[in-house]
Amino acid sequence: MGMLMDPALGRVIERCRDGDRDAFEEVVDRYGLQLLRTARLILRDEALAEDAIQETFLKAWQRIRSLRDEDPGPWLTRIAMNESISSYRRRHRFQALTERFGRLSTAKVQSSSEARLDLAQALDQLTVEQRAAVALHYYRDLSVEDAASALRIPVDTLKSRLKTALRRLRDLTGSEDTTA
Amino acid sequence: MSDRFENDLRDHLHREAEETRELPRRLRGRIREGIMPRHRTALVPQLALAGALVVVAVAVVVFRSPQLVINDVRTTITKVFTSPTPAPTPQPFICQDVAGGSTGITTQLTAVRVASHESEGYDRIVFDFSGGIPSYDLTRQPSATFIRDPSGQQIQLDGSDGIKLVLRDTDAAAGIPGGSKPALPAVREVAQVGNFERVVTYGIGLSSSQCLRVSSLASPSRLVVDVATVPSTSTTAAPTPLPTVPEATALPGFACQDQAGGSNSGGPMQLTFIRIAHQAAGYDRIVFEFAAPAGTTPHLSAYTVSRQASAHFVRDPSGQAVTMRGSDGLRIVFHGFAGFLHPHRRADRSDQAGDRYPDALTDPLPRLWEGRVGVARLVTPAAG
Repeated sequence: MGMLMDPALGRVIERCRDGDRDAFEEVVDRYGLQLLRTARLILRDEALAEDAIQETFLKAWQRIRSLRDEDPGPWLTRIAMNESISSYRRRHRFQALTERFGRLSTAKVQSSSEARLDLAQALDQLTVEQRAAVALHYYRDLSVEDAASALRIPVDTLKSRLKTALRRLRDLTGSEDTTA
Repeated sequence: MSDRFENDLRDHLHREAEETRELPRRLRGRIREGIMPRHRTALVPQLALAGALVVVAVAVVVFRSPQLVINDVRTTITKVFTSPTPAPTPQPFICQDVAGGSTGITTQLTAVRVASHESEGYDRIVFDFSGGIPSYDLTRQPSATFIRDPSGQQIQLDGSDGIKLVLRDTDAAAGIPGGSKPALPAVREVAQVGNFERVVTYGIGLSSSQCLRVSSLASPSRLVVDVATVPSTSTTAAPTPLPTVPEATALPGFACQDQAGGSNSGGPMQLTFIRIAHQAAGYDRIVFEFAAPAGTTPHLSAYTVSRQASAHFVRDPSGQAVTMRGSDGLRIVFHGFAGFLHPHRRADRSDQAGDRYPDALTDPLPRLWEGRVGVARLVTPAAG
């Protein structure tokens, strides 16, 4: 269930539904930076992240009438996640193919014993789906339920991705699990 | 429960995210452009015309030899695609302020040219852009004195009348001359009087009050300003006047020009209140109240008041376009400024009696940024 909007934001969205482009730019101002930062963390590429956020807002503008009395934040995040992951897949289609068949992929770091990476490099080694889960949960501080909703996946899948991502990050950086 | 690694991960993600400090203007511009209504491109009518000409050319086959027809068709198609962009349909000269262009685009002014078309009765100024034609205002004024933006200093151009051109969301390309004195029959001098925060302003000194014809050309985008060389005899020749109404005692008369004043000496002042009210004498008044911080000599901050023929403004510092209600506007800028004293503006109830602007002071509130405030306010003519 969506969060209720504060009245001022509700008026802005109402103006957007009436086709007011200035009002929509207020929405861009309000949510754009956070979405761009999230996309940048997931995509690891500034230009790609900007393209994804541009597409996000263009789609949001086209679909603004479908937004009812709910906070546009989660709605925009859902669109942004979809655009980010789709654009990454488009860009890395060949790479994804080679990863699927394994043998041609040589760029991946195989184990922590061979190299100790810093966190930034380790994040580069995750899949885009894992990075999206990590970014939403650890950067945006979304609950697993909200992060799963933003990615349109079951909660268990989200938990599994997070667990796999953390294990891989620990492995790549040589960190030990110190969970109490 | 989070362990140390998860906390480190969280910290790292926040640090990495904050490397992106703001939403880039280019991205904002692309989004703005993307949500604008699409216009049909000029190629479509050209293709239609080409098709029609081909049909006509083929139709004459019964009168000419096949080889001749082929040559005709080839020539016709070549002409259609190689002919220069057609000149704009001549518009009548008008003796009013003009506004136009597109909001939400980012463009660069790449050249300014001035030429005499004396035999045709006008001088032409052409502004070239690398992108589309930005939102602009052309405001006529009964003097060749302009106010520099952002310094607020006066600049006197050659001539007795003038036109001010304001281009929004525009950068001036490096190497554009600051001005020229072509000394043509109508256009005496052209000077860049402002280039600040993506608002480029030109002052044009005229030999007398002349009427304008404004048109645009594509490939590259050009804004064409024709200034009639024959002084206007139109009854509407004077620049659009603000209401001439009974004046308040000890106040100067109403002027149809940009104004500047105040001083930066004596330390930065603080803006404390803004009030707006309709006066029974026949005008609306906006009052900006200032306070002198401790150790500061009380004085009025340096300011510029610029009139414009539209209610479009650009937010400072975001660069975002804002369209207010109304057809014309005033841009008021205070310089050397310490900030807004109170978070909430106080309404002086006695002064607000008859206030016809219940939301005039709402959303586009004064934007404080690095010791400067840009205040955009729309003024509509008061009821007489």
